[in-house]
Amino acid sequence: MKDIMRIKCLISTEMESILNQQIRKEAQSSSIYLAMASWCDRNGFDGSSVYFFKQADEERQHQLKFFKYVLDMGATAISPDVSGIKIEYNSFREVFEDALDQEISVTQSIKNIASLCHKEQDYVTMEFLNWFLKEQREEEYKARRALELFEVIGEEGAGRWQIDKHVGDIKYDSEA
Amino acid sequence: MQAIQTITHTLNITEVFKTASGTIFQSDSENCWYIDFAGKLNRFDYRCLQKLRKAVYHIDIEGLLMNTNRSADMEIVFICACDHTYILTTLEIIALKELLQGTFTMLELNHIIHDRLYRGAL
Ligand SMILES: [Fe+2]
Ligand SMILES: [Fe+2]
Repeated sequence: MKDIMRIKCLISTEMESILNQQIRKEAQSSSIYLAMASWCDRNGFDGSSVYFFKQADEERQHQLKFFKYVLDMGATAISPDVSGIKIEYNSFREVFEDALDQEISVTQSIKNIASLCHKEQDYVTMEFLNWFLKEQREEEYKARRALELFEVIGEEGAGRWQIDKHVGDIKYDSEA
Repeated sequence: MQAIQTITHTLNITEVFKTASGTIFQSDSENCWYIDFAGKLNRFDYRCLQKLRKAVYHIDIEGLLMNTNRSADMEIVFICACDHTYILTTLEIIALKELLQGTFTMLELNHIIHDRLYRGAL
């Protein structure tokens, strides 16, 4: 008997479903960053607003990368509905705490996909995923560094203004 | 049954999974499946079979069983972009789900055999 399923599609049904969950997660990230950009803009933190607009764009690109991969493999990519995005934050610092939390949770879900890749011996998806593992290194680094500005500069006086000014300067340039 | 035997012969199809209430066949030459269920024999290609599975698996069977104030114990299973519509009772839905689950397990098994036996040996 022919293996028709495999002829039509490279990835398994479980892989298709977990990748679609990730598509939703990236879309959610993008929306969260956009909400953060909005809050920062409303509260006079222009530098941070620009920073979060850029992050929102990046997350959208991540979403599309997963989306196209799922389609290229012959599976069904599902355009996600995203709801329940937080609008208000209690403080400037809370925005950055949430940003780091979000990145940590994305790293975790990508690790979960990697673990399914190993379980299924799906080295094709694993190879695709490597880019994201590396990307999460940068994403977490940037989010952590941003939050550390609150410690290094301090929030007193013109502290928040200084933090806002320097958020955009955070770069990750490890070649390893 | 006579009709199915004739079809099996002429289309060269293989039985994938069979229960008391139905059978699913695969046609290698046509890259499709034939589902003999609820008095109908329907042809499903790859996309349609996936859609049928999704539709059936998403039915809240527990909810149907718990619901006492329903006028009719019927659920319409409609699969868009495919030519087939099933109108089934709750019990038939359970039977169809069982048939599909068995079929997909067999297809998964077939996939493993292909991977280990044929593709690895090439
Ligand atoms: Fe991302
Ligand atoms: Fe990110």
